[in-house]
Amino acid sequence: MDPTAGNVPGSAVPGPDHEEPGLETLQFREEIQRLITVPPDNASSFTALLELPPTQAMELLHLSPESEPNPAPAAVSGEPPLLKPCAHPFNSSLTFPSNATLIERAAKFSIFGGDQSPETGAVPSNPGVNLEKVKSEPAESDSNPNSSQETKSNQRSSAKRKEREKKVKVSMKKSKIEAKEDADKIPYVHVRARRGQATDSHSLAERARREKINARMKLLQELVPGCNKISGTALVLDEIINHVQSLQRQVEFLSMRLATVDPRIDSNLDHLLATESLSLMQSNFSSMAPPIMWPELPINGNRQQYQQQWHFDALHQPGWGREEDNHIFITPEASLISCNSSANSASLHTGHVKTEL
Amino acid sequence: MNSQHSSSRPNSSSLKSRFTLGFLRALKRLNRQPSSSSSPPQTVSSPREMCRRYLRIRIAADASMASAVGSRRAWSRALLLKIRSRQSRSSNSSARRVSMKKKCLGEKIKKKKKLKCCKEINKLRKFVPGGEAMDACSLLDEAAHYIRCLNTQVKVMTRIADN
Repeated sequence: MDPTAGNVPGSAVPGPDHEEPGLETLQFREEIQRLITVPPDNASSFTALLELPPTQAMELLHLSPESEPNPAPAAVSGEPPLLKPCAHPFNSSLTFPSNATLIERAAKFSIFGGDQSPETGAVPSNPGVNLEKVKSEPAESDSNPNSSQETKSNQRSSAKRKEREKKVKVSMKKSKIEAKEDADKIPYVHVRARRGQATDSHSLAERARREKINARMKLLQELVPGCNKISGTALVLDEIINHVQSLQRQVEFLSMRLATVDPRIDSNLDHLLATESLSLMQSNFSSMAPPIMWPELPINGNRQQYQQQWHFDALHQPGWGREEDNHIFITPEASLISCNSSANSASLHTGHVKTEL
Repeated sequence: MNSQHSSSRPNSSSLKSRFTLGFLRALKRLNRQPSSSSSPPQTVSSPREMCRRYLRIRIAADASMASAVGSRRAWSRALLLKIRSRQSRSSNSSARRVSMKKKCLGEKIKKKKKLKCCKEINKLRKFVPGGEAMDACSLLDEAAHYIRCLNTQVKVMTRIADN
């Protein structure tokens, strides 16, 4: 009469909430010992474990009419209360209760392992789930103090779990990310201490600072072209500095160009500013005004030529105005405006500076 | 220099448009000044004049950029402060006050420099306006925004220069 003997009893534990010590206790003891030895195999055994508790609970139900009516969900949730009485009959293994809680937790959160067994097998499969649920666990346990025993066992298990978590490197990466996220959202920085690292506030704060700086470095890397391939902070910073320097030099060069190219652009700028404030003329503009050659230096001889051009070619925009030519420019503009008789023309010849609004 | 802001709704208009308008206005003002003084059309061929003009245009570009950004960025504030102090240097002693402030900041900076003793970070401080008085974290932030604004500036100025 050993319904569960053949299987690996996940939390076969729940079975004996019944009060019939003796045969059943012996059976369960064996099962539990089997449990302790079997689990370290791999994650698959754990999934087997998952399935087992409900089935086992079902069988146990048949055995003894006392167990809870809902085996499947209760198999998991009902375990904690079931565990309590289990503790009594099982004097043989003192570690049993903790193991049982751990196993039950494993069933819940896919963390598996007794004290002896490393979870390396199980952890890589669900590292993220691991951490999230691990974090929620203390909250859950805190919020559900069903009984003193339960909380004690929970605390014990949670303490053991924390120790184990510290050792698992895979989860540490996630904790870094989570810590960083926390840093962004919450004023408190929740950072997990890594193995072999100091846990005092100074180093924690420094680590948080470093993470912030690394995040900003990544942003900068994206901004500066060609920085993605470079690895190493120093080189990336060098690249960034070069980029800033080149941009500043470009600005200087362009301002030099502007200084030499257009000595006088008063009237054009006037119109330009007027039209710019009105509307987005870029669409009109780019279609109608092809970039015209810009007179590099205002030479007297060319003036008249340009003026003629201005008269004849509506699209041409010399764009440079001299003090004495202002009135001349204004009149062609006026004529053009009258010719075209559309607001666009004003934008045309004044808005030659393809400014995007 | 760019006291007049055309954009009454700074939020809706983009940085680019604000900068363009400000810069063009400044250019117009610059162009008007020498022309009003000299009646004959002076070709700006003399190097000194050209140099002066170039400097003025560069300052105008920086100032219009900084005012387009506004005061919400540390580098724009620092840039505007520098420009205004430079302008008032000849006239007032306000520049002296500003330089005193900077000296005090210098001591603070040494402490911050010790924290992140990366040489490159210190180099970066020289290029980002106002970078002397910032810690590494915010310096990187400001540098990112500064690079973005410089890109806009260059684009707009090339368009102006090409047309």
